[in-house]
Amino acid sequence: MASAFRPSAARILASKPASAIRFLPQTRVAAFHVSQRSQILPPGPQIVIGTVNDPVPIPTSNAAHGSYHWAFERLIALGMVPLTIAPFVAGTANPALDAALGTALVLHSHIGFDACVTDYFPKRQYPKTRTFMIWLLRGATITAAVGLFSFQTNDVGLTEGIKKMWKA
Amino acid sequence: MLSTKVISRTLLRTARPKATSLNTSFFTPRRLVATESVPASSASSILASQRLNRPVSPHLTIYQPQLTWYLSSLNRVTGVTVAGLFYLFTIGYVFSKPFGVNMSAANISRKWGELSTPIKLAVKAPLAAVFSFHCWNGVRHLVWDTGRELSVRGVYRTGYGVLGLTAVSTIGLLLV
Amino acid sequence: MAALRQTPLRLLASSSVRRAATPQAIRITTRGLASVTTMPPTDKDPTPKKKEPVLKKFQIYRWSPDEPAKKPHMQEYTLDLNETGPMVLDALIRIKNEQDPTLTFRRSCREGICGSCAMNIEGTNTLACLCRINRDASQTTRIYPLPHMYIVRDLVPDLTNFYKQYKSIKPYLQRKEPTADGKEIRQSIQERKKLDGLYECILCACCSTSCPSYWWNQEEYLGPAVLMQAYRWLADSRDQMTGQRKDMLDNSMSLYRCHTIMNCARTCPKGLNPGKAIAEIKKMMVQSS
Repeated sequence: MASAFRPSAARILASKPASAIRFLPQTRVAAFHVSQRSQILPPGPQIVIGTVNDPVPIPTSNAAHGSYHWAFERLIALGMVPLTIAPFVAGTANPALDAALGTALVLHSHIGFDACVTDYFPKRQYPKTRTFMIWLLRGATITAAVGLFSFQTNDVGLTEGIKKMWKA
Repeated sequence: MLSTKVISRTLLRTARPKATSLNTSFFTPRRLVATESVPASSASSILASQRLNRPVSPHLTIYQPQLTWYLSSLNRVTGVTVAGLFYLFTIGYVFSKPFGVNMSAANISRKWGELSTPIKLAVKAPLAAVFSFHCWNGVRHLVWDTGRELSVRGVYRTGYGVLGLTAVSTIGLLLV
Repeated sequence: MAALRQTPLRLLASSSVRRAATPQAIRITTRGLASVTTMPPTDKDPTPKKKEPVLKKFQIYRWSPDEPAKKPHMQEYTLDLNETGPMVLDALIRIKNEQDPTLTFRRSCREGICGSCAMNIEGTNTLACLCRINRDASQTTRIYPLPHMYIVRDLVPDLTNFYKQYKSIKPYLQRKEPTADGKEIRQSIQERKKLDGLYECILCACCSTSCPSYWWNQEEYLGPAVLMQAYRWLADSRDQMTGQRKDMLDNSMSLYRCHTIMNCARTCPKGLNPGKAIAEIKKMMVQSS
């Protein structure tokens, strides 16, 4: 209401000649350099569930999404260290090693993408987008696994293929 | 809560220094704003409606660039890049046959080999850097998960270490 | 408003100084609130040399709930650093007292123990009372509220969710039975040592609001400050609810949104290390309970 009668600082700046700008009082409004409009995935308005004195609800315990998931993720990552080095050391492609590396790569990628979906599409704000992204990712992972399998069996195989393309 | 503005205005009005210096019996300040009574029960709903107006303070754009979160976001970006390329290739491989595209390793490497060296280098150098950064930083994360090097000093020491190793292995990969 | 708040202490001090002023006492300064006041010299005194003013600019985030449609903006204030105390909080108090009484921020102890004045100064979260003003007058100091928080007004963020999360981890000793001899629960020196670096946390929320994971998921992810307190009770040898405490964290959101970014340890104004505490929880979680 009050702002309707009070000209904004920007309007004052615009209406006055350039020389007058220098004589503005010490306290002046600087342009806000953070654009609020172009926010990606904005968090939405504040909604507090329950009163101020209630604790936040505690999610149901599920080790498959918690500690087991974390341990599994680390095991794969740990396994990928020797599997990545092996082709460099061995020099030749080994179908068993190839299969192991391919499986680890698919699982590691899937977990990584899944972490992105959980991080950037919170359940409360984007429930539909989140479900869509989860299923999109599942479909992509399965297709990628199928593609990798046929590349391993019908073509030269993972490490040999990468080597060939890198050196070409 | 809605009336706080009203109250603060009246407070300001009554607290004017000139009012204290003069005999105030004649100068009872005229109230231009009427106060409004709000039942206590509506406090929570008023607060809830005020909360809806609140802006979110700036974050990514104003936070100081630091090695900590820059390397962490780089880890995610590089991971998504490598995994994304891997998915693109494998998914493309599935759909290449029905669409009549030859995506065999032999064909791609032949086509790729025909390009000039500068173009190949312009593609391969960032790819090598992205891949090796993600590998080295992954090792850094595995070290952290054992509880080691998890101090501000450790984070910076390992961070610069990873950047150094990335540079070395990028050059190494390009020489292969 | 500020003019009315001439404290009796300041009046007292100034009058006593005037009485004691002799030609020998050339320059006496008293420090009231956040500003350093130079006493005017008496007629007999040789005029003290006036210091060249150091004019420093401060840009401060402003938003008022009275005008909700108006976008947050940065407002600039200029202060002479020679007349301001050394810390950013001194500058803020001086701006509020002398230039703009509408500037709003939280402060209480002015010595880094209450955690009220947590804000983002020059890009990092810290306590305004522990953060020295950068004396380089050519650089503008930018002051924002804690990042990615809902703003009540100006530099005041709403910490409701943060406190609700703290409450959810049950930050108190939980026992199933009293001690065998009915006396106090005793702890060895080694067991007590585990709590060092954890109990000192003042819950200023600097670390939680520096964490990008907490920015994106603050409804569900507990954040470094609360998780460090969760570990403080997990690590306590006297607590008997370790199993339940671990169960509470065993889901995808509460704990495992931590990606070891380590902004928390980098920014903590008390020099604590929440990132390390979270890593210890993760290690505890995979060990059989």
